[in-house]
Amino acid sequence: MEPSLFSKPRDLFLDIVNPRDYVQIDSVSHMYQSLKNSVQKPLKMILLYGRPGTGKSMLLHKLHHDLSKHQKVLMVSTPIVDEDDFLRVIAQNIFGHSPREVMTLNRFLEISSALSLRDTPIVLLDEAQLYSPSLMEKIRLISDARAIKFVITLHKTDKEDIIAKEHFQTRIWESIELQNASAEELKIYVQKKLLKANCFDVANMFNDKNMKLIAALTKGNYRETNKLLFSLFSLYCWYEENHPARIQYNAIRPKWIEMAAIHTGLIHA
Amino acid sequence: MLDIKRLERRWLKYKIKSFLPHFIALFAVLSLLIGISLWFNTEKSADHNRTDTEKNIVSLTKVPLPTPISDHNKTVLEPSMEFVQTFQDQYVAPEPESKTPPAEVPVPAVNKPVRPVPVPPKTLHMPEYTPPPEAPAGLKAVPAVSRTVTNDKSLSINRNESKLDIEDLQRRFKETSNANLGLFIARYYYDHGDFNEAYNYALKTNNVNNRIDESWILFSKSLVKLGKTDQAKKTLQLYISQSNSDAARGLLDAIEKGNFK
Repeated sequence: MEPSLFSKPRDLFLDIVNPRDYVQIDSVSHMYQSLKNSVQKPLKMILLYGRPGTGKSMLLHKLHHDLSKHQKVLMVSTPIVDEDDFLRVIAQNIFGHSPREVMTLNRFLEISSALSLRDTPIVLLDEAQLYSPSLMEKIRLISDARAIKFVITLHKTDKEDIIAKEHFQTRIWESIELQNASAEELKIYVQKKLLKANCFDVANMFNDKNMKLIAALTKGNYRETNKLLFSLFSLYCWYEENHPARIQYNAIRPKWIEMAAIHTGLIHA
Repeated sequence: MLDIKRLERRWLKYKIKSFLPHFIALFAVLSLLIGISLWFNTEKSADHNRTDTEKNIVSLTKVPLPTPISDHNKTVLEPSMEFVQTFQDQYVAPEPESKTPPAEVPVPAVNKPVRPVPVPPKTLHMPEYTPPPEAPAGLKAVPAVSRTVTNDKSLSINRNESKLDIEDLQRRFKETSNANLGLFIARYYYDHGDFNEAYNYALKTNNVNNRIDESWILFSKSLVKLGKTDQAKKTLQLYISQSNSDAARGLLDAIEKGNFK
């Protein structure tokens, strides 16, 4: 059976954070370069924040992917809520030390000072808004002691702004805000992603009108865009199999974009 | 697994829902525009009618209304119908000629043509009845003077109100601008149910002489007959305010009470 033209593009838009799928867009590249420069500086803490789906996790993974070749970097994608576990995991991965006794903050700092590494190790914390205030306080103390350099990501919501103010505002030396993508940026994102996978025909099907509609529906949210396009290409796969005559290969049908949006919940119909 | 059929139905529902406000807005705007245009047209025609009425009123008010009547401008209708009526009622008796011997008298009065004497009725005296002197036997066969016969012969008033006569009157009115003629023509047309012409001649008469009660009354009556009751009322009110005419007031009351339609 001949493979579907749209099955490969569909799989490209699965909502998985993979640094290899990182797509260079001018504004995001600029942000990433700023982040990399900040990491090189003797800063204690770097905050990466923005609304959901602006690419914070992807940038963090990309940073981890790039930095891990040269220095000790730990990526904590899923928050470790328990304080003992958190310190123990960091001590084990950064310092290679796994004490049998309970890991306290003091013990952690002792281990850190005993090793005295040449480059300050970096810990990347995704979804930092999920950490408890007491653990955030410990993270602050560790960074103040210059035992570890933290790069943390936060969702920018009203509630989370308060957390940011209380625990990080005075200690953060660098903060980078990520914005939602514009229609043009989304077009570049989609087309680059498709072209990277050699899906030229499908990439050419997206015109400005299509991208404006997609951007309006997803509000420039990369995660929502991925979900929408996954549904859209699933629809194309179905039509290709059942009603191939209804497919226009020169442009994406707005009706199907809207149907995909209904399916993903972006449109309440 | 995608349920495409259901998705298509949901999409159709979504499209209808999303276009509905536009349709409603479009319908509302169109209705509003139609309403405004209809209202504008109605207002325009109402204004037009109002302007016409105002023009008529203005033209009426331009005619100077009567001032207290002076003897100098007194209008006298001639001939006096009262006189004619009185004359008709008169018993025509043979002229008593006492000096004439009875033998020479037997000329019956019936043979004498009766001529209207231009003497005011007040000056006429009813002659005393004196029985005719006994006629000679030969003349007894002659019937006595019958009053009716005398009247029939002497006062046969022929009212020739043919079209030609009216045209002649109109021509004369045009030439002379005599208010009496105008009033006569207006009255003629009013009596014959031609209220438009009655209105026109009453108006013309008013232009010639604006102190004739009857002319204003005919004018107002014609207006009522033409369905312009309001205009008639206004005219009468205006006239009453200037002339204090009882006849005009009476007509105005009748119009207002609906007795005159």
